[in-house]
This record gives sequence, structure tokens and C-alpha cells, in this order.
Amino acid sequence: MSGNFGQVSLSPPRIAINPNRLYPIEPAIRQAGRFAVNVMPVTSKDVMIRLIKVRRREPDKATAVGLEIQEDDLGIPFVDGAMRTIFCEVERVCETGDHTLIIGRVLESRLNPRCTTTQALLYPDVAGDAPSGSAVRQLIRTSLGSTGALDLLKRALYKRRPPPPPDIAGATYQDGGQTESEIAEIVKHGLLDHGRRLRPPPIPRSVSQPVGICVVGTGWGSFHCDLIRKAAPSALLYVCGRDPERTQRLAKAVNASGMFLGLDAALKDDRVQAVSLALPHDLHREAAERAAAAGKHVLVEKPIATTLADAQAMIEAARRAGTFLMVAEDMHFRPVVREAAKRITRGNLGEPLYMLVNAGGIRRPQGWSADKTRMGGGVLIDIGVHYIRGLRLLMGEPDQVIATRAMQVNTKIGGEDSVQLLLSSSVGWQAHMLLSWASTRGHLPDIVVAGEKGTLHLWPGEGHLDFYRAASGDEDLLDKLLARVLPSRLQRDEGRPERIDVADPDRTGYESEMREFLSAVAEQRQPTSLAEDGKRDLEIVLCGYDALASGARTPIPASTVP
Amino acid sequence: MLARDMQSSSHAYITGSVVESPVAILLVKAGNRSNAMTVSFFSEVAHHPTSLWVSIATSTYTHALIEETQRFSLAVLHVKQKYLALGCGSVSGREHDKCSTLEVYETASGFLFLNGALSSTACRVRDRVALSDHTIFIADILEGQIESRQAHLRHLLLSDL
Repeated sequence: MSGNFGQVSLSPPRIAINPNRLYPIEPAIRQAGRFAVNVMPVTSKDVMIRLIKVRRREPDKATAVGLEIQEDDLGIPFVDGAMRTIFCEVERVCETGDHTLIIGRVLESRLNPRCTTTQALLYPDVAGDAPSGSAVRQLIRTSLGSTGALDLLKRALYKRRPPPPPDIAGATYQDGGQTESEIAEIVKHGLLDHGRRLRPPPIPRSVSQPVGICVVGTGWGSFHCDLIRKAAPSALLYVCGRDPERTQRLAKAVNASGMFLGLDAALKDDRVQAVSLALPHDLHREAAERAAAAGKHVLVEKPIATTLADAQAMIEAARRAGTFLMVAEDMHFRPVVREAAKRITRGNLGEPLYMLVNAGGIRRPQGWSADKTRMGGGVLIDIGVHYIRGLRLLMGEPDQVIATRAMQVNTKIGGEDSVQLLLSSSVGWQAHMLLSWASTRGHLPDIVVAGEKGTLHLWPGEGHLDFYRAASGDEDLLDKLLARVLPSRLQRDEGRPERIDVADPDRTGYESEMREFLSAVAEQRQPTSLAEDGKRDLEIVLCGYDALASGARTPIPASTVP
Repeated sequence: MLARDMQSSSHAYITGSVVESPVAILLVKAGNRSNAMTVSFFSEVAHHPTSLWVSIATSTYTHALIEETQRFSLAVLHVKQKYLALGCGSVSGREHDKCSTLEVYETASGFLFLNGALSSTACRVRDRVALSDHTIFIADILEGQIESRQAHLRHLLLSDL
């Protein structure tokens, strides 16, 4: 959206626009050689406010806010609902500092006959945030301004200030401009606003028909059984284990429709449409491949596997068999993460720039999970994959990682019991991830996302998130004076969080995760959380292990998730 | 371009305009000569250096004065100053000293500012782009003043004239 454009000549008619050199539209216009200026009607105010609030780096912003984009005969994209569209061909490009002045020759000026108003939307109607403060503040501001009292006050106070810069053009760029050296610095890091697409995960659909599902594993498998009962009470639940006594006990406890001893028995049964694998990590591949070969859909506990080769083999096995594989990753379905992703995508946080993860708590793994080889590592692979998924949903794909760890506190386990990762992206964000089984987490949010406009705090197991709005920094003298004079109830809520309640009763996302799997089985469709996503989470975790071993900054390969 | 389209979109004041735009008075002083001209072909151009562009018809007296001094000031009008826009846009500065009829004052650095305008900015030409019937002057903003007493008013638009 731009408020700066204008006509520059009459015969022939030409238009000038001035896109920011760091925005992707500038090189796009240069490359295409054509563009369209869409004069929006006053009735489109709400859409334009949404558009201006969407993150600057969000790809396809127009579509995201509901604008319909069409192309004319020359392939110039334009907004279908514009009041008037002026199609132009680039005639001249002038370097003018941090913006580029592009002069376009008007090819066609097209009125929209379907537009019911002739009043154009003006930039001041939509620019910036909503008017700050209460109606009382607005009234006081208008009164002081129109009577001249504000001018007098400013003049009196400005006498105490140092004189303004003698050359505004040379000295002022606080409002968003960049000097040539700053532009060079930004471009050097590749930050050209090519954008990152954040996709808030959809809410899982309810399970449309009874599904036959067998939980494999009698340890953590009991938790899977519990989730199935909650997510789809009508599901035909079976349990499968090696130990007859344990398996029977579990089957009875969860009121299962049947039980199997050994995986082969479960896979041969036609009543079983899908299996839920709650097995040691090193057994995931073999079990998933056998299940796929038997034509069963698979839900596998996270991490998908302990190596990328195993993960790829599992994905290919499902593809060959025409079944699907889903990784049980609750972060993808955690309602507060979904809500945070939605708000970030809408631009409420501005550009997200920093994420802090503080996760873990005292845990002393035993049995196979204390074995580094069977586990694939320690705390990093076990809970790191969760937060890597959270990172990808809320920030985007990282491209490098640094990792360090402290002295091992729990010497009874083979894997690491604490680790910290520093992840970053050339897009300009960074993340700090503290994962530990050796210390208590304290009363802290497990995820904090900070952006230009505020900070979101996500609390584990809670149905709300806290939003701390950042001070805008553009308060003028009157704002500061009114803050001292007005009663506190008329002040802004600086420093106090806005609590955002999420209606979904499933606070952890576990139940939603199971519902998504079962509904995908019932509807014979791919689940929204792809196996490739699970593989990508593992890939980043394994890069973390490489960084831990080398002590060096380790590049993360580009994502290949479809 | 569809000529019929353009015709139908023309405003009463300036024929051939294809976009809505705010209206300002451009003030220029060259020695003892000064002039005020109503303009609507202008916009911000960059944040750093803080600059704007204004497009002036080559045939005008103002164009000649800007070419001579490379300096001008731009006073953006509010909706209650329609009479100023019409007054400065209907007579030539070659024949009348329009500035003498306006409430203008001279800043310490020699620029003319208009009392009561929404804002006045002093500009120094940095670059010029010659087009067929107009010249675009790209100018650095050297100093400026905002009239906060009028800040609650909407700016004057071409369609208001």
C-alpha cells in the first residue's frame, strides 16, 4: 500500500511512484517494466487497514486480506475492487535516496463501473495505528491544538531545547529511512524482504466415522489410548504389545475392542486401519515400514526417527504403499501456538525478530530413553523437536545454529541433559533455546516471541497467551503531559499484558493432534501436519548436534518441505 | 489510454488529471521577484535524504524562477483554503505579484512560508527530470513548519476545486 504517488505530466499523462529500495516490489517493478496504481474507494477502508497491518514480509499480502488480484491483457496485476486502476509502463527510474522514483507512462486509466462510490480513500484514514488514548484525550488534543494553546506550550518548551538540525534532508531519517551505508549493510546480509511464509495450522476437523486404530506399545502407548478415547469416542481401539500381561492390563484399562501380541498380528487384522506407534525411537523405522507395507496409516511418536535416512525411508514406504505417515507433534496443534501464529501473520506483532524458549524441568529418563543410541541423543532430540516445530510455525525456517552445553548433571543417562541453541535466519531473526532436564523451569513462559510491536508470552498447559504491547515511541509532548495529568483509568496499558484467551479446551494440543490423525484416516486424506515436517524438525535438531560436537556455527540446509 | 476515460475523470480545475491529489501552493523567490503557484503534482520521495518531488509545467513563470534559484517552498493547504488555491491558480505571476496578496513571511534562511497552511517546507533542488510538458524537481527538504492549530483539518484535494 502506498500513499505517495501522483501525476507528473498531462500530455502524455505520467504517474510517479516511489517504492522503498528494500521492499521486494521495487525490483519487481523494475523487472516487469509495468505496474498498476489502484485507487481504492473509501469503502475499502477496513481492508486497507488490514493490509497495512499485515507483516511487511508476508508474501501474497493482498490475497491474505481478501483482495482479489487479476491480470490485464499485458499481464499487469491489479485489484479487482479498485475505484480506478491506472496501468503504467515504466518510462524512467530515478535514484533518489532510500526510495526509487519510478515514472510510468499511463497506458490506460480504467474506471470500475461496479464501484458504488466516487470518494477515494486517503492515506491519513488508514495510516498508523488506531488513534491513541481515549475520546477524552482526543478532545483535549483537538481543543488545545485548535486554540493555539499547544503551539504556545511547544514554543515555550522548545526554547530550552537545542536548535533543530540546519539541514533536515541530511540529518533526518528516524522515520524509517536508511542511509546508503545502512542500505549496503542490510543488502550485505541478504535481507531483501523476500519474505517468509508463516502458516497458522488449521483447527483439526472432528472425526466423521468410526476408525479402527491399534496403539503399538504399552508404555507411552497408554497415553495414546487416552487421547484416542477423548478425540474420537467412537473409534475402535486396539492395543498391541509384546508382554501378554502388560498388554492385557492396558486393553482392559482402556476398554479396548481387542488386543494383539506382536506387531504382525495387528497388521494382519482388517479391522485395524491405522496404527499409532509409541515405541522407542530406534524402532520407529522398522515398525512404520512394516505397517505401510500392510496398508496401514501410521501415527509415529516424535521424533520421526533418529536419523534422516530412517525418516526418508519411512516417508517413502508410506508413499509406495499409498498410505500416510504423520508424526505425533503436539506443538503443531497447541491452540496458543496456533493463535500466536495467526496474530503474527496478521501483523499484530509487527515483524517477529526474537524468540526465547525455556523448556524442560527435572526429568530422569530410565530404560531405553536413558540409552543415547536408542534415544538418538538426550534432551535436544526428545523435546527439541517440539520447539523446533514451534520456531518454524512462529518465526520461519532457521538457516544456522550454534550450540553449547554445560557439565552433565544427570550421569545416569547417555544423552545430554541440558543444551542451549542459538538459531538465526538471514531474514533477520534469532532464537535462543534453553532445554534442560536438570533444572526446574520456574514460573516462566516456555515460549516468548518478540516483534516490533510487542511481545507474546505462551505458557505451557495454559489456555491463554499474554501480549505486551510495545511503547510506540512516537508519543509527542502532549502525550507525555496528558499522561501526567489524566487519571490512570484514561491512560494506556503500558507494561500490563493483554490476556488473550483461546477458546479451545485442549490446552496442550495432544487431543487435537490425535483428532487430526483420526479424521485424516476417516476421510482418507493427508493430515495437515506432514511427515516431511517431522523430518525437517529432526534435520534441524541433528544440525544442533553437529554444532554441539564442532562448537562451530553450523549451516542448516534449506527446507524441502512441500 | 482511453481518451474518453481521461476526459470523464477530469476535474473542473485541472483537465487531464487522472488521480486524486492534495493541493499546495508553491512559493519561489528569486531576488526581488517572487511567485506563488497552485500545484497538485507533488509527493514525498524519500525518507533519507528527506525529500519531495514536484512537477511543474515548463511554460510557467514558476518554472523559470525555480530553474534560476534552485530553491522553493511548498505550503500544503487545508480544506478551508480553497480560495487561496483558486486565487493563485487563475492568474499568472508574470502579470501579478501574487505573494503580496498572501500572508507569507520569510524565514531566516530566505524561504517564503505561508501563514495558516497545514505545513510549509523549504526545499533545495537536488535533481531534475525533464518530461515533455513538465519538469520534475526532486528537492531536499531543508526546514519545515507544521501548523498544529490546523492539524485537525483535512488537506485540500484536487476534487474540492
